[in-house]
Amino acid sequence: MNYWMMFWTGALVIAGCSFAVITAIVSVFGYRDLMQMFRRLTAQGGKENE
Amino acid sequence: MTFTSLDWIIVIAYLILSVAIGMIGRKYVGSVAHYLVAGRELGVFVGIATLAATEIGTITFMYNAELGYRYGFAPFVVALISGLVMVIIGRTGFVITRFRAMKLMTVPEFFERKYSLGLRLFTGVLVALGGILNMGVFLKIEGEFLTVISGIDAKYLVTVMTIILLLEMLYTVVGGMVSIVITDFLQYVLLSTATILVSIFAVHHAGWHNILAKVTATMGDKGFSPIANPKFGLTFIIWQILLWFSIHTCWQTTAMRMFSTKDPETSKKVMTWTGFIYLGRGMLPMLWGIAALATLGTGNSQDGVPMPVLNGHVLQPIDAMPAMLGSILGPGIKGIVVAGMLAATMSVNSSYLLGWSSVISQDIIMPARQVLRKVPLSSRSQILVNRLANLFVGLFLMFWGLYYTPPGAVYLYLNVTGTIFLAGAFVCVIGGLYWKRANVTGGYLAMFLGAVGVIVPFFFLHWNENVTGFTAFALAAFGLVFGSLLGSPSENIIAESEMP
Repeated sequence: MNYWMMFWTGALVIAGCSFAVITAIVSVFGYRDLMQMFRRLTAQGGKENE
Repeated sequence: MTFTSLDWIIVIAYLILSVAIGMIGRKYVGSVAHYLVAGRELGVFVGIATLAATEIGTITFMYNAELGYRYGFAPFVVALISGLVMVIIGRTGFVITRFRAMKLMTVPEFFERKYSLGLRLFTGVLVALGGILNMGVFLKIEGEFLTVISGIDAKYLVTVMTIILLLEMLYTVVGGMVSIVITDFLQYVLLSTATILVSIFAVHHAGWHNILAKVTATMGDKGFSPIANPKFGLTFIIWQILLWFSIHTCWQTTAMRMFSTKDPETSKKVMTWTGFIYLGRGMLPMLWGIAALATLGTGNSQDGVPMPVLNGHVLQPIDAMPAMLGSILGPGIKGIVVAGMLAATMSVNSSYLLGWSSVISQDIIMPARQVLRKVPLSSRSQILVNRLANLFVGLFLMFWGLYYTPPGAVYLYLNVTGTIFLAGAFVCVIGGLYWKRANVTGGYLAMFLGAVGVIVPFFFLHWNENVTGFTAFALAAFGLVFGSLLGSPSENIIAESEMP
């Protein structure tokens, strides 16, 4: 039981930290991506594509 | 009422902002590709945001918290599998890069390219059936969460459900995927902030040592080991690995994000990084459920677990988490958390509405018109059909959510309904992409046996979920191999130019 307890505690710490760090990065750089997407969609206009 | 004026102001301000931002998407929708796959212009970071927001909703928090409450730390294995499988798919590009290179808009579209128009239609029906039944329980459970945490009288549950649905339909119907991507970004930031806040509050309130002690006292070894817990075990783990491979590659809403990326390499990066988010997506809400067990689990034992009790009222295990949050979060924080959960709800539901309605329009109505030799619809007409399908799915969800209550743990109900089409679809996709011998006969058999392998054992023979899911995948694989070896090889060869 101790083995599983330690394993899940470690997994939880990794999961929580990854979640927080990726959220911070995505919040900053995602905005830039969004603006680029708007520019490209505007350039595509109302063209029928794919 | 446990909601203060400050909480209401935060929630209402969020709702107005979210819908207003979502409406911006309308001006960018010029073609059906804009409407369904955002013109295939998603970059890595916004791709991660929209994929994570799509698959993290109040329903996700609720069923994961319920698993944590009922089974302790043992179900953490589900989160681990879902995250690791996603990272593996992202690193290898398994299925997703080939899908992206083929410029698909829906998963069943692949079935026409590789197999036949008829199989696309058949798959479309199964995908829509399984998907809509799966989503059918979302609204009710989300409504329950919001009424319990905010202290609104339960008699207003239907009103809350209706308001949620109408708000998300408002921008999904007009702006399609573009609106969804914009709102997903905002919603992802808000729901992640709420997730982190709640995790800190829950552990602080319950106490880490109390959490471990409660699970040890009530469940013993079964509360930690997924092998020792009879609800899980080795069969469950194998089924979950197969299921998560199929979800991350063939689940319509996830696949649509991959189709919407700029190129196959971007889809790999999005999948890899979202895999790490998936670890937290499962484990953090399960932790909230365990914290609720530690703080509210004082009632009579049912299935080996004490029922949650708050202010003398006995609750269902699934309501323990929102009840705990309602009692521990202070004014202002509660408003932020509820706004975050609403964000999660709206991002998931809007994407699922678009996902399943796109299957109805693109894979059922369009192929049916082709079979009936009707003139193909223009892009604008296709958008209109998509919007009407969206409205139909929304109305169905409202009524199904009111009249149906899933038996047992919600997570397992969702897995089983998803498997109705995932078992056959996953096997057919793997066969279609990686086995030249796979043919139409094998495809039909796989889809049919995969669906029957779920519906008969689960709904009629009442087998448990693990064996049912495992059987469905095994039958689907048998169907594809047997049918393909019987018939002649498929004439629909996927062109080299469509391979990355």
